[in-house]
Amino acid sequence: MSQSTCSKANQPAERMVPGALAALKRQETLLAEIERVSSTGGFCWHPATGKMTCTDQVYRIFELDAAVPLTLPLMGSRIHPEDLALLDDMLERASAQASGFEYQLRLRSEGVKYLLLSARRSEAADDQPSYIGAIQDVTRSRQSEEALGKVRSELSRLARVSTLGALTASIAHEVNQPLAGIMTNASTCLELLGSDPPDLDAARETALRTIRDSERACEVIARLRALFGKRSDKTESVDLNGAAREVIALSLSELHRRGVILRTELADNLPLIAGDRVQLQQVILNLLLNAAEAMSQIEDRPRQVLIRTELEESDQARLTVQDTGVGFEPQEAQRLFEAFYTTKSGGMGIGLSVSRSIVESHGGRLWAELNAGPGATFTFSVPTHGNTGDAQSRCGAHVIASSEPLTGPA
Amino acid sequence: MMTNATLVAIVDDDESMRRSLPELVRKFGFSVRTFTTAEQFLASDCVDRTKCLILDVAMPGMSGPDLQRELSRRGQKIPIVFITGQTDQDLRQQLLAEGAVECLFKPFSAAALREALNTALGVS
Repeated sequence: MSQSTCSKANQPAERMVPGALAALKRQETLLAEIERVSSTGGFCWHPATGKMTCTDQVYRIFELDAAVPLTLPLMGSRIHPEDLALLDDMLERASAQASGFEYQLRLRSEGVKYLLLSARRSEAADDQPSYIGAIQDVTRSRQSEEALGKVRSELSRLARVSTLGALTASIAHEVNQPLAGIMTNASTCLELLGSDPPDLDAARETALRTIRDSERACEVIARLRALFGKRSDKTESVDLNGAAREVIALSLSELHRRGVILRTELADNLPLIAGDRVQLQQVILNLLLNAAEAMSQIEDRPRQVLIRTELEESDQARLTVQDTGVGFEPQEAQRLFEAFYTTKSGGMGIGLSVSRSIVESHGGRLWAELNAGPGATFTFSVPTHGNTGDAQSRCGAHVIASSEPLTGPA
Repeated sequence: MMTNATLVAIVDDDESMRRSLPELVRKFGFSVRTFTTAEQFLASDCVDRTKCLILDVAMPGMSGPDLQRELSRRGQKIPIVFITGQTDQDLRQQLLAEGAVECLFKPFSAAALREALNTALGVS
């Protein structure tokens, strides 16, 4: 029988009083039912002997015949080839007598099946440690998470499109400037060539200026493509100052058009952060445009935005966007970040909500405060490269937690 | 060009405009001074001598329309040709209503600029 426990030997059933035996049977049936309902099976593993005992539910999860004793190699034959290394890792941890471990594994199944395996060390009778744990089929919750992730990234794309819409005039302005230079230079060049005698040196100079303006137009397009083009999410080392400068370059004329004066205080030697550069730029752009929007009706004081970056003591990189706008009601502070909550007539109310989810997916925080004077300050902080270990486990490595540190220095 | 040629001042924060426009305007036979900001122009000795102002709309600090209002407040009747990267017809109508001679959307042709300058200076 596969059902067994791992602690000291059970009392022989025949020595039990009949009532107790019946009660034990009832409990066993109940436990088996609970395991079935929760898609969770229990197991006990003795690394020294390789002996493994488990409940029927584990066999069902692994789609194995309950008549064949379960071994680690047999488990391995069912595990997705890309996740086999995790079994080796488990063996290593066990031989180092780790106090516990937790893995997310995939099975070779018709569809992919996701399992969560977690175990704790337990001292057995012979003083050899064994591990008692549970294996849960988490395929359904994984599928929901993936569906949620898709919705989230669609929402983020929508937010990008609506930001793009808000920037249309600014972008046209950015492109029209060098185009105007190109047309003026070309006209001047023709005038210079047409004069008698032709002024070739000056004509050459205007041709060179035309090239420079064309290059400038290309740079604008390149920035746009980087920020709004089709792309896949990726993690890289991001220089927050550089990312902020690019956003500022794209939105400067929009800010000028709205009569906004922009100041920057970017910290020197800000450490790199691990993350998605474009997503973070979207957050910065969103905060910047919100700030400009909040000041659109302000006439009695300068419309000023301050973008500041700094390093917090806890090795978090922080970016603040401070405006002199209308601010918000104190009781609104939390609602601001709810999806579809907006105080703007033309807004969709997804900008701040998406921004917060982007920052949180970087292991950071985004919050709003009222200034001592007029206006509001929006701040986000994200871990710098010092914490790459956290960043890696967050970004999809299969080892998701452990009772012992996963990596070396934090 | 003669030093006493008609003075046209250009105010634009955009560098490629400040580099390309003066030469073209000189080719039209005018004398040219350029300024990066409206404040610089107001502080210069050119205000009284400028016969036509080529003025950008969106600039940091004092905007083109701000300068237009300030000049009118001072009683300076300098004809203004606005140039802007913002293709906004409402804005154009508003600027013309406030007395601007023309408002050209960037990029504009040399012919359009020449015509606007001629209108501003009453040359047919």
